[in-house]
Amino acid sequence: MIWQQLQSLAGSYPLALRGLGMTVMLSLISLVLGTALGFGLGILRTGGNRLISSVIGAWVDLIRGTPFLVQIFLIFFILPEFGIELDAFTAGIIALTNLAACFICEIVAAGIRSVPTGQVEAALASGLSRWQRMRQVVLPQAMRIVLPPLVGQYVLLIKDSSVVSAIGLTDLTRVGWLVVQRVPNGLLVFFLVGVGYFIVCYPLIMLARRLERRMGAAHGEVQL
Amino acid sequence: MTNPSPTKTGMIDFRGVNKWFGALNVLKDITLSVEPREVVVVCGPSGSGKSTLIRCINGLETIKDGDLIVDGQRLGDPATNMAQLRTEIGFVFQSFNLYPHKTALENVTLAPIHVRKIPRAEAEQAGRDLLAKVGLADKVNAYPSQLSGGQQQRVAIARCLGMRPKIMLFDEPTSALDPEMISEVLDVMVAVAEEGMTMMVVTHEMGFARKVAQRVVFMDAGAIVESGTPEEFFSAPKTDRSRAFLSKILRH
Repeated sequence: MIWQQLQSLAGSYPLALRGLGMTVMLSLISLVLGTALGFGLGILRTGGNRLISSVIGAWVDLIRGTPFLVQIFLIFFILPEFGIELDAFTAGIIALTNLAACFICEIVAAGIRSVPTGQVEAALASGLSRWQRMRQVVLPQAMRIVLPPLVGQYVLLIKDSSVVSAIGLTDLTRVGWLVVQRVPNGLLVFFLVGVGYFIVCYPLIMLARRLERRMGAAHGEVQL
Repeated sequence: MTNPSPTKTGMIDFRGVNKWFGALNVLKDITLSVEPREVVVVCGPSGSGKSTLIRCINGLETIKDGDLIVDGQRLGDPATNMAQLRTEIGFVFQSFNLYPHKTALENVTLAPIHVRKIPRAEAEQAGRDLLAKVGLADKVNAYPSQLSGGQQQRVAIARCLGMRPKIMLFDEPTSALDPEMISEVLDVMVAVAEEGMTMMVVTHEMGFARKVAQRVVFMDAGAIVESGTPEEFFSAPKTDRSRAFLSKILRH
């Protein structure tokens, strides 16, 4: 019986690959966008403008304080009520990017705050512009603090992407749901789904660990 | 390091400057003029406002009222380009504040390349020359963490000189150093002073003051209490407070 199930599972591999591809695609696009947006927000968050900083802070708290599933439903089912029609993929990307940006914003802000005031004063005293101070002095030092938790966050976000199956995207998790209807062995099917996620996440887990070890070694800057 | 003196006013002019930290009046009605090429040593007990005084000059602190005119430009005036003015003012910190992720040479060339827009090769040559001048020709590629305190402070001075400033400010440059490293930093500062740099130096190094300062300013509780030549100040302090201060720092 288990043999039959395995054979039947083997027949589902094109579907599984599609699901894996969707998971990787969703994660990749939203992590790249989320990282860019998160760095921008993190820089603004610490930029000294009270209003901007507290608006970003409130948004980040809101997103961190509500379930991701609810956020996806809001974007996918509520926005159309206001005339904004999104396909499931776009809605998924928007929701994941926003989530990633909010977590990364806080990581980046913490990194920037960890750079001693004296560094900024030295850069200020030599006439560097605001952007030059950020680019040349603050960010390279902040990256030491930022990189390990950033990569760790990527792992969490890849796993969070499984929630998009709820709005009908055929990602790895949804493939599991589809297959289990044909092969009634939930343990086996979702074990394999788990393996799929692990294969994507494990290299990142290794990278995070490596970066953490390197943090102490470099001269204030992490070289990849 | 030439020092043109285009105006009749001082290079640095405090006119009735006041500053508060909350309710605390940290600078009280400061009036002080520093001439081009003059070296002024500022001393006084801790908390007397001497660091705050020189931090106002390059705008690391802002003043509440009074006028502060630096190199002919009034601070706080909308017409004054602060970033531009700062390029004319070198600032040496007590804790060095070298960029830990950059080598000694990169520390020296960063602002010349990015602010002065000097071509990299030219800036690097000038940077090597400056590091050689402060006795660190062999440490060009060292990171700050690989240097002693005295070496780091000399790199910090070279970093300021790289901008060819008109004014150099020193905020207790030797206070964080082990005793055996103090003289190597003071020697560099003496050399800078002898080239005609306008300098304000917050320090208790009386040997340095005697050697190069034209004037010693004594501050207490946010006010300038006494001001005179090093000779006058050390041999015949005029106020009780300066006598008490001198007896404390000269006791050892």
